Amino acid sequence: MPGEWIFIPDKDGQIEHIYREKTDKRILKKNPWRDLRLHGTVLVLVVIAELIGTIRIPITKDVAITIMPLIYTIILGLAFYLVKPIKWIHRKQARIAEGAMMLFIGVLIAKLAVSSGQSISLIFEMGPALILQELGHLATILVLPIALLLGFKKEAIGMTNSIGREPNVAVVVDKYGFNSPESRGVFAIFIIGTVIGTIFISFLVTFSLSFIPLHPYAYAMASGVGSASMNAAAIGPTLAAFPGLETQIEAFAGFSNLLSFCVGIYIVIFIALPLTEKIYNWLEPKIGREALVPEKEDE
Amino acid sequence: MPDLIDGSENVSVHGIFNWILLLAIFSVITVIANYLGYKHPIADSLVGMGILSFITLIGVWLERELPFNISSILYISVIGILIAFPGMPTSEVVLYYVSKVELLAIVTVFLAYVGIGMGKSWDEFKALGWRAVVITVLVIAATYYGAAIVAHIVLVLTGVPAA
Repeated sequence: MPGEWIFIPDKDGQIEHIYREKTDKRILKKNPWRDLRLHGTVLVLVVIAELIGTIRIPITKDVAITIMPLIYTIILGLAFYLVKPIKWIHRKQARIAEGAMMLFIGVLIAKLAVSSGQSISLIFEMGPALILQELGHLATILVLPIALLLGFKKEAIGMTNSIGREPNVAVVVDKYGFNSPESRGVFAIFIIGTVIGTIFISFLVTFSLSFIPLHPYAYAMASGVGSASMNAAAIGPTLAAFPGLETQIEAFAGFSNLLSFCVGIYIVIFIALPLTEKIYNWLEPKIGREALVPEKEDE
Repeated sequence: MPDLIDGSENVSVHGIFNWILLLAIFSVITVIANYLGYKHPIADSLVGMGILSFITLIGVWLERELPFNISSILYISVIGILIAFPGMPTSEVVLYYVSKVELLAIVTVFLAYVGIGMGKSWDEFKALGWRAVVITVLVIAATYYGAAIVAHIVLVLTGVPAA
Protein backbone atom coordinates (compact mmCIF):
# COMPACT_ATOMS: atom_id res chain seq x y z
CA MET A 1 0.00 0.00 0.00
CA PRO A 2 1.53 3.34 -0.92
CA GLY A 3 2.51 5.57 1.91
CA GLU A 4 2.51 2.85 4.52
CA TRP A 5 6.03 1.71 4.05
CA ILE A 6 7.50 3.50 7.02
CA PHE A 7 5.23 2.74 9.94
CA ILE A 8 4.06 -0.75 10.59
CA PRO A 9 0.39 -0.71 11.61
CA ASP A 10 -0.37 -2.03 15.09
CA LYS A 11 -2.62 -5.05 15.74
CA ASP A 12 -5.82 -3.20 14.93
CA GLY A 13 -4.39 -1.99 11.65
CA GLN A 14 -4.26 1.56 12.97
CA ILE A 15 -1.27 3.71 12.28
CA GLU A 16 -0.54 5.68 15.39
CA HIS A 17 0.20 9.34 15.17
CA ILE A 18 -0.64 10.29 18.71
CA TYR A 19 2.70 11.90 19.20
CA ARG A 20 2.56 14.09 16.14
CA GLU A 21 -0.92 15.32 17.06
CA LYS A 22 0.16 16.10 20.59
CA THR A 23 3.26 17.91 19.43
CA ASP A 24 1.16 19.89 17.01
CA LYS A 25 -1.26 20.85 19.77
CA ARG A 26 1.52 22.07 22.01
CA ILE A 27 3.44 23.81 19.29
CA LEU A 28 0.48 25.34 17.54
CA LYS A 29 -1.66 26.32 20.50
CA LYS A 30 0.66 27.66 23.11
CA ASN A 31 2.88 30.08 21.23
CA PRO A 32 5.86 28.13 22.55
CA TRP A 33 8.40 30.70 21.39
CA ARG A 34 7.03 33.10 23.97
CA ASP A 35 8.21 30.96 26.88
CA LEU A 36 11.28 33.01 27.63
CA ARG A 37 11.89 31.15 30.89
CA LEU A 38 12.53 27.99 28.91
CA HIS A 39 14.61 29.48 26.10
CA GLY A 40 16.48 31.80 28.46
CA THR A 41 17.37 28.85 30.68
CA VAL A 42 18.57 26.85 27.68
CA LEU A 43 20.73 29.79 26.57
CA VAL A 44 22.28 30.08 30.04
CA LEU A 45 22.92 26.31 30.19
CA VAL A 46 24.53 26.33 26.76
CA VAL A 47 26.76 29.31 27.55
CA ILE A 48 27.89 27.68 30.81
CA ALA A 49 28.54 24.38 29.02
CA GLU A 50 30.54 25.94 26.19
CA LEU A 51 32.58 28.10 28.57
CA ILE A 52 33.56 25.05 30.60
CA GLY A 53 34.38 23.24 27.34
CA THR A 54 35.64 19.70 26.88
CA ILE A 55 37.42 18.20 29.85
CA ARG A 56 39.84 15.30 29.42
CA ILE A 57 40.68 13.32 32.51
CA PRO A 58 43.55 10.93 31.77
CA ILE A 59 43.34 7.66 33.68
CA THR A 60 46.23 5.75 32.17
CA LYS A 61 48.45 6.55 29.20
CA ASP A 62 45.82 5.60 26.60
CA VAL A 63 42.58 5.76 28.52
CA ALA A 64 41.05 9.14 29.15
CA ILE A 65 37.58 10.18 30.16
CA THR A 66 36.32 12.87 27.81
CA ILE A 67 33.47 14.99 29.13
CA MET A 68 31.94 17.19 26.45
CA PRO A 69 29.64 20.24 26.73
CA LEU A 70 26.69 18.18 25.48
CA ILE A 71 26.87 16.09 28.64
CA TYR A 72 26.71 19.22 30.83
CA THR A 73 23.63 20.61 29.08
CA ILE A 74 21.59 17.41 29.32
CA ILE A 75 22.46 16.88 32.99
CA LEU A 76 22.01 20.58 33.89
CA GLY A 77 18.71 20.64 32.00
CA LEU A 78 17.49 17.68 33.96
CA ALA A 79 18.83 19.17 37.19
CA PHE A 80 17.06 22.50 36.55
CA TYR A 81 13.78 20.65 36.28
CA LEU A 82 14.38 18.44 39.30
CA VAL A 83 16.13 20.75 41.77
CA LYS A 84 13.60 22.46 44.00
CA PRO A 85 15.17 25.92 44.49
CA ILE A 86 14.88 26.55 40.74
CA LYS A 87 11.35 27.81 40.53
CA TRP A 88 10.96 28.91 36.93
CA ILE A 89 11.23 25.53 35.20
CA HIS A 90 7.98 23.68 35.69
CA ARG A 91 5.97 20.95 34.03
CA LYS A 92 4.75 23.49 31.51
CA GLN A 93 8.29 24.31 30.39
CA ALA A 94 9.10 20.59 30.24
CA ARG A 95 6.09 19.99 28.00
CA ILE A 96 7.05 22.80 25.66
CA ALA A 97 10.66 21.58 25.58
CA GLU A 98 9.35 18.15 24.70
CA GLY A 99 7.28 19.50 21.80
CA ALA A 100 10.02 21.82 20.56
CA MET A 101 12.51 18.96 20.66
CA MET A 102 10.68 17.12 17.88
CA LEU A 103 11.09 20.15 15.64
CA PHE A 104 14.76 20.63 16.54
CA ILE A 105 15.65 17.02 15.71
CA GLY A 106 15.01 18.13 12.13
CA VAL A 107 17.90 20.61 12.26
CA LEU A 108 20.23 17.86 13.47
CA ILE A 109 19.07 15.51 10.71
CA ALA A 110 19.42 18.27 8.10
CA LYS A 111 23.04 18.91 9.12
CA LEU A 112 23.87 15.22 8.77
CA ALA A 113 22.02 14.94 5.47
CA VAL A 114 24.08 17.80 4.02
CA SER A 115 27.28 15.99 5.08
CA SER A 116 26.07 12.75 3.47
CA GLY A 117 25.18 14.46 0.21
CA GLN A 118 28.60 16.07 0.12
CA SER A 119 30.47 12.76 0.58
CA ILE A 120 28.24 10.59 -1.57
CA SER A 121 31.10 9.47 -3.86
CA LEU A 122 33.20 8.52 -0.83
CA ILE A 123 30.42 6.14 0.24
CA PHE A 124 30.87 4.25 -3.02
CA GLU A 125 34.68 4.36 -2.90
CA MET A 126 34.89 3.00 0.63
CA GLY A 127 33.37 -0.20 -0.58
CA PRO A 128 31.05 -2.70 1.00
CA ALA A 129 32.70 -2.96 4.42
CA LEU A 130 31.62 0.49 5.52
CA ILE A 131 27.99 -0.12 4.56
CA LEU A 132 27.75 -3.72 5.73
CA GLN A 133 29.22 -3.01 9.16
CA GLU A 134 26.14 -0.89 9.80
CA LEU A 135 24.20 -4.16 9.79
CA GLY A 136 26.50 -5.32 12.59
CA HIS A 137 24.67 -2.83 14.82
CA LEU A 138 21.71 -5.24 14.70
CA ALA A 139 23.68 -7.26 17.28
CA THR A 140 21.99 -5.14 19.96
CA ILE A 141 18.87 -7.28 19.47
CA LEU A 142 20.84 -10.14 21.08
CA VAL A 143 20.42 -8.22 24.35
CA LEU A 144 16.59 -8.44 24.11
CA PRO A 145 16.30 -11.82 25.90
CA ILE A 146 18.44 -10.49 28.76
CA ALA A 147 16.19 -7.41 29.03
CA LEU A 148 13.14 -9.69 29.22
CA LEU A 149 14.78 -11.85 31.88
CA LEU A 150 15.49 -8.70 33.90
CA GLY A 151 11.78 -7.89 33.88
CA PHE A 152 11.40 -5.28 31.16
CA LYS A 153 8.28 -5.39 29.02
CA LYS A 154 7.76 -3.12 26.01
CA GLU A 155 10.58 -0.91 27.27
CA ALA A 156 12.85 -3.68 25.97
CA ILE A 157 11.84 -2.90 22.38
CA GLY A 158 13.07 0.67 22.79
CA MET A 159 16.15 -0.45 24.65
CA THR A 160 17.58 -3.10 22.36
CA ASN A 161 16.64 -2.08 18.81
CA SER A 162 19.75 0.12 18.55
CA ILE A 163 22.42 1.87 20.59
CA GLY A 164 19.81 4.48 21.53
CA ARG A 165 21.50 7.71 20.45
CA GLU A 166 19.81 10.87 19.19
CA PRO A 167 18.57 9.63 15.78
CA ASN A 168 17.39 6.34 17.29
CA VAL A 169 15.52 8.25 19.99
CA ALA A 170 13.91 10.34 17.26
CA VAL A 171 12.76 7.26 15.36
CA VAL A 172 11.37 5.50 18.43
CA VAL A 173 9.61 8.62 19.76
CA ASP A 174 8.17 9.32 16.33
CA LYS A 175 6.80 5.80 16.01
CA TYR A 176 5.52 5.10 19.52
CA GLY A 177 4.92 8.52 21.11
CA PHE A 178 6.80 10.33 23.85
CA ASN A 179 5.04 8.68 26.79
CA SER A 180 5.02 5.12 25.46
CA PRO A 181 6.93 2.32 27.24
CA GLU A 182 9.09 1.94 24.11
CA SER A 183 10.17 5.58 24.35
CA ARG A 184 10.83 5.24 28.08
CA GLY A 185 13.13 2.36 27.18
CA VAL A 186 15.09 4.26 24.55
CA PHE A 187 15.29 7.34 26.82
CA ALA A 188 16.68 5.18 29.62
CA ILE A 189 19.38 3.84 27.30
CA PHE A 190 19.96 7.36 25.98
CA ILE A 191 20.47 9.07 29.33
CA ILE A 192 22.52 6.26 30.85
CA GLY A 193 24.53 6.05 27.64
CA THR A 194 25.12 9.80 27.74
CA VAL A 195 26.44 9.66 31.28
CA ILE A 196 28.47 6.43 31.31
CA GLY A 197 28.64 5.46 27.61
CA THR A 198 31.65 7.58 26.78
CA ILE A 199 33.60 6.30 29.75
CA PHE A 200 32.51 2.71 29.15
CA ILE A 201 33.41 2.61 25.44
CA SER A 202 36.80 4.14 26.17
CA PHE A 203 37.59 1.14 28.40
CA LEU A 204 35.93 -1.35 26.06
CA VAL A 205 38.02 -0.24 23.08
CA THR A 206 41.29 -0.22 25.02
CA PHE A 207 40.57 -3.73 26.29
CA SER A 208 39.54 -5.05 22.86
CA LEU A 209 42.61 -3.63 21.09
CA SER A 210 44.87 -5.48 23.49
CA PHE A 211 43.10 -8.83 23.34
CA ILE A 212 41.20 -9.23 20.04
CA PRO A 213 43.21 -9.13 16.77
CA LEU A 214 40.87 -7.45 14.27
CA HIS A 215 41.71 -5.39 11.15
CA PRO A 216 42.72 -1.82 12.09
CA TYR A 217 40.12 -0.43 9.66
CA ALA A 218 37.48 -2.63 11.29
CA TYR A 219 38.30 -1.02 14.62
CA ALA A 220 38.17 2.41 13.00
CA MET A 221 34.76 1.77 11.43
CA ALA A 222 33.35 0.26 14.62
CA SER A 223 34.19 3.40 16.59
CA GLY A 224 31.48 5.25 14.67
CA VAL A 225 28.64 3.96 16.77
CA GLY A 226 26.40 6.94 16.08
CA SER A 227 27.33 9.20 18.97
CA ALA A 228 29.83 12.00 18.61
CA SER A 229 31.21 11.73 22.13
CA MET A 230 31.42 7.92 22.02
CA ASN A 231 33.09 8.14 18.61
CA ALA A 232 35.64 10.53 20.07
CA ALA A 233 36.20 8.22 23.03
CA ALA A 234 36.62 5.17 20.81
CA ILE A 235 38.94 6.71 18.26
CA GLY A 236 41.56 7.89 20.79
CA PRO A 237 42.86 4.48 21.86
CA THR A 238 42.46 3.14 18.28
CA LEU A 239 44.78 5.85 16.93
CA ALA A 240 47.29 5.10 19.66
CA ALA A 241 47.22 1.37 18.86
CA PHE A 242 48.01 1.71 15.14
CA PRO A 243 50.68 4.39 14.70
CA GLY A 244 51.17 5.47 11.08
CA LEU A 245 47.54 4.88 10.14
CA GLU A 246 46.14 8.05 11.71
CA THR A 247 44.67 9.57 8.54
CA GLN A 248 42.91 6.40 7.40
CA ILE A 249 41.57 5.62 10.86
CA GLU A 250 40.20 9.13 11.28
CA ALA A 251 38.56 9.03 7.84
CA PHE A 252 36.93 5.65 8.41
CA ALA A 253 35.84 6.50 11.95
CA GLY A 254 34.31 9.84 11.01
CA PHE A 255 32.55 8.48 7.98
CA SER A 256 31.23 5.45 9.77
CA ASN A 257 29.83 7.69 12.49
CA LEU A 258 28.10 9.71 9.79
CA LEU A 259 26.73 6.49 8.29
CA SER A 260 25.51 5.35 11.69
CA PHE A 261 23.62 8.62 12.00
CA CYS A 262 22.20 8.62 8.45
CA VAL A 263 22.01 5.08 7.07
CA GLY A 264 21.62 3.78 10.62
CA ILE A 265 18.24 5.51 10.91
CA TYR A 266 16.90 3.57 7.95
CA ILE A 267 18.30 0.29 9.23
CA VAL A 268 16.48 1.00 12.50
CA ILE A 269 13.23 2.00 10.76
CA PHE A 270 13.13 -0.79 8.19
CA ILE A 271 14.96 -3.68 9.85
CA ALA A 272 15.82 -3.28 13.53
CA LEU A 273 12.50 -2.05 14.96
CA PRO A 274 10.23 -4.48 13.05
CA LEU A 275 12.63 -7.32 13.86
CA THR A 276 12.86 -6.38 17.55
CA GLU A 277 9.06 -6.22 17.76
CA LYS A 278 8.68 -9.64 16.10
CA ILE A 279 11.22 -11.25 18.39
CA TYR A 280 9.62 -9.52 21.39
CA ASN A 281 6.16 -10.83 20.52
CA TRP A 282 7.54 -14.33 20.10
CA LEU A 283 9.86 -14.36 23.10
CA GLU A 284 7.97 -12.31 25.69
CA PRO A 285 5.28 -14.95 26.47
CA LYS A 286 8.04 -17.53 26.84
CA ILE A 287 10.58 -15.82 29.10
CA GLY A 288 8.92 -12.53 30.17
CA ARG A 289 8.90 -11.72 33.90
CA GLU A 290 6.50 -9.63 35.92
CA ALA A 291 6.50 -6.00 34.79
CA LEU A 292 8.81 -3.64 36.68
CA VAL A 293 6.97 -0.49 35.74
CA PRO A 294 3.19 -0.74 35.83
CA GLU A 295 1.46 0.28 32.60
CA LYS A 296 0.49 3.90 32.90
CA GLU A 297 -2.09 5.90 31.03
CA ASP A 298 -0.89 9.11 29.48
CA GLU A 299 -1.86 12.27 31.35
CA MET B 1 -1.38 37.39 20.55
CA PRO B 2 -4.50 35.27 21.14
CA ASP B 3 -4.37 31.52 20.75
CA LEU B 4 -6.07 31.31 17.41
CA ILE B 5 -5.65 27.70 16.71
CA ASP B 6 -7.24 24.54 17.93
CA GLY B 7 -4.96 21.49 17.80
CA SER B 8 -7.40 19.57 15.65
CA GLU B 9 -7.15 22.04 12.80
CA ASN B 10 -4.68 21.67 10.02
CA VAL B 11 -1.41 23.50 10.02
CA SER B 12 -2.17 27.14 9.36
CA VAL B 13 -0.16 30.25 8.79
CA HIS B 14 -0.18 30.70 12.56
CA GLY B 15 1.31 27.22 13.09
CA ILE B 16 4.04 27.78 10.56
CA PHE B 17 4.73 31.14 12.21
CA ASN B 18 5.24 29.30 15.53
CA TRP B 19 7.63 26.83 13.91
CA ILE B 20 9.63 29.63 12.32
CA LEU B 21 9.98 31.52 15.60
CA LEU B 22 11.00 28.38 17.49
CA LEU B 23 13.60 27.54 14.85
CA ALA B 24 14.85 31.14 15.00
CA ILE B 25 15.33 30.91 18.78
CA PHE B 26 17.06 27.54 18.38
CA SER B 27 19.30 28.99 15.65
CA VAL B 28 20.36 31.99 17.72
CA ILE B 29 21.25 29.82 20.74
CA THR B 30 23.12 27.35 18.52
CA VAL B 31 25.08 30.15 16.84
CA ILE B 32 26.12 31.43 20.26
CA ALA B 33 27.27 27.91 21.24
CA ASN B 34 28.99 27.60 17.88
CA TYR B 35 30.85 30.85 18.48
CA LEU B 36 31.81 30.14 22.11
CA GLY B 37 32.80 26.51 21.56
CA TYR B 38 34.24 26.46 18.07
CA LYS B 39 34.95 30.11 17.19
CA HIS B 40 33.02 30.04 13.92
CA PRO B 41 32.05 33.51 12.62
CA ILE B 42 28.57 34.50 13.81
CA ALA B 43 27.23 35.82 10.49
CA ASP B 44 28.23 32.73 8.49
CA SER B 45 26.88 30.28 11.02
CA LEU B 46 23.60 32.21 11.21
CA VAL B 47 23.20 31.70 7.48
CA GLY B 48 24.09 28.02 7.97
CA MET B 49 21.43 27.63 10.66
CA GLY B 50 19.00 29.47 8.41
CA ILE B 51 19.55 26.89 5.67
CA LEU B 52 19.16 23.97 8.11
CA SER B 53 16.03 25.52 9.64
CA PHE B 54 14.53 26.02 6.21
CA ILE B 55 15.12 22.35 5.31
CA THR B 56 13.50 21.37 8.62
CA LEU B 57 10.52 23.62 7.99
CA ILE B 58 9.91 22.13 4.54
CA GLY B 59 10.27 18.61 5.99
CA VAL B 60 7.80 19.02 8.87
CA TRP B 61 5.39 20.84 6.58
CA LEU B 62 5.54 18.08 3.94
CA GLU B 63 4.97 15.43 6.63
CA ARG B 64 1.68 17.06 7.59
CA GLU B 65 0.62 18.26 4.17
CA LEU B 66 1.25 15.18 2.02
CA PRO B 67 -1.11 12.23 2.38
CA PHE B 68 1.65 9.71 3.15
CA ASN B 69 2.65 8.38 6.54
CA ILE B 70 6.28 9.30 6.10
CA SER B 71 8.30 10.79 8.92
CA SER B 72 9.65 14.31 8.46
CA ILE B 73 13.09 12.83 9.17
CA LEU B 74 12.99 11.21 5.73
CA TYR B 75 11.88 14.33 3.89
CA ILE B 76 14.56 16.36 5.67
CA SER B 77 17.25 13.78 4.85
CA VAL B 78 16.33 13.64 1.17
CA ILE B 79 16.24 17.44 0.81
CA GLY B 80 19.56 17.79 2.68
CA ILE B 81 21.31 15.16 0.57
CA LEU B 82 19.95 16.59 -2.70
CA ILE B 83 20.93 20.22 -2.12
CA ALA B 84 24.46 19.21 -1.03
CA PHE B 85 24.95 16.69 -3.82
CA PRO B 86 28.17 17.44 -5.74
CA GLY B 87 27.25 19.18 -8.98
CA MET B 88 23.98 20.62 -7.73
CA PRO B 89 23.94 24.40 -8.24
CA THR B 90 23.10 24.83 -4.54
CA SER B 91 25.85 22.60 -3.20
CA GLU B 92 28.69 25.11 -3.02
CA VAL B 93 26.74 27.73 -1.07
CA VAL B 94 25.06 25.16 1.18
CA LEU B 95 28.32 23.38 2.02
CA TYR B 96 30.14 26.62 2.77
CA TYR B 97 27.60 27.93 5.26
CA VAL B 98 26.46 24.63 6.79
CA SER B 99 30.08 23.62 7.45
CA LYS B 100 30.29 26.71 9.67
CA VAL B 101 27.77 25.10 12.02
CA GLU B 102 29.41 22.45 14.19
CA LEU B 103 27.29 19.32 14.68
CA LEU B 104 28.31 19.27 18.33
CA ALA B 105 26.97 22.81 18.83
CA ILE B 106 23.54 21.75 17.52
CA VAL B 107 23.63 18.63 19.71
CA THR B 108 24.61 20.64 22.80
CA VAL B 109 21.62 22.99 22.49
CA PHE B 110 19.27 20.19 21.47
CA LEU B 111 20.24 18.18 24.55
CA ALA B 112 19.46 21.10 26.87
CA TYR B 113 15.85 20.93 25.66
CA VAL B 114 15.90 17.13 25.92
CA GLY B 115 17.18 17.36 29.51
CA ILE B 116 14.43 19.75 30.58
CA GLY B 117 11.76 17.75 28.68
CA MET B 118 12.97 14.54 30.27
CA GLY B 119 12.63 15.91 33.79
CA LYS B 120 9.00 14.95 34.04
CA SER B 121 9.86 11.30 33.29
CA TRP B 122 12.51 11.15 36.02
CA ASP B 123 10.54 8.94 38.39
CA GLU B 124 10.12 6.33 35.69
CA PHE B 125 13.86 6.43 34.98
CA LYS B 126 14.54 5.80 38.64
CA ALA B 127 12.15 2.84 38.54
CA LEU B 128 14.22 1.36 35.70
CA GLY B 129 17.30 1.43 37.94
CA TRP B 130 20.38 -0.79 37.76
CA ARG B 131 18.79 -3.15 35.28
CA ALA B 132 18.71 -0.37 32.70
CA VAL B 133 22.39 0.30 33.36
CA VAL B 134 23.17 -3.38 32.67
CA ILE B 135 21.20 -3.28 29.40
CA THR B 136 22.85 -0.01 28.33
CA VAL B 137 26.33 -1.42 28.80
CA LEU B 138 25.43 -4.60 26.91
CA VAL B 139 23.80 -2.65 24.07
CA ILE B 140 26.88 -0.44 23.61
CA ALA B 141 29.18 -3.48 23.62
CA ALA B 142 26.91 -5.32 21.14
CA THR B 143 26.89 -2.35 18.75
CA TYR B 144 30.65 -1.97 18.89
CA TYR B 145 31.52 -5.65 18.46
CA GLY B 146 28.75 -6.22 15.90
CA ALA B 147 30.14 -3.49 13.67
CA ALA B 148 33.80 -4.43 14.27
CA ILE B 149 33.29 -8.13 13.51
CA VAL B 150 31.20 -7.55 10.35
CA ALA B 151 33.71 -4.95 9.09
CA HIS B 152 36.61 -7.30 9.83
CA ILE B 153 35.01 -10.19 7.92
CA VAL B 154 34.18 -8.00 4.90
CA LEU B 155 37.67 -6.42 4.85
CA VAL B 156 39.36 -9.81 5.00
CA LEU B 157 37.08 -11.30 2.33
CA THR B 158 37.62 -8.34 -0.02
CA GLY B 159 41.38 -8.61 0.55
CA VAL B 160 42.07 -5.20 2.06
CA PRO B 161 45.59 -5.54 3.50
CA ALA B 162 46.02 -4.74 7.18
CA ALA B 163 48.19 -1.83 6.05
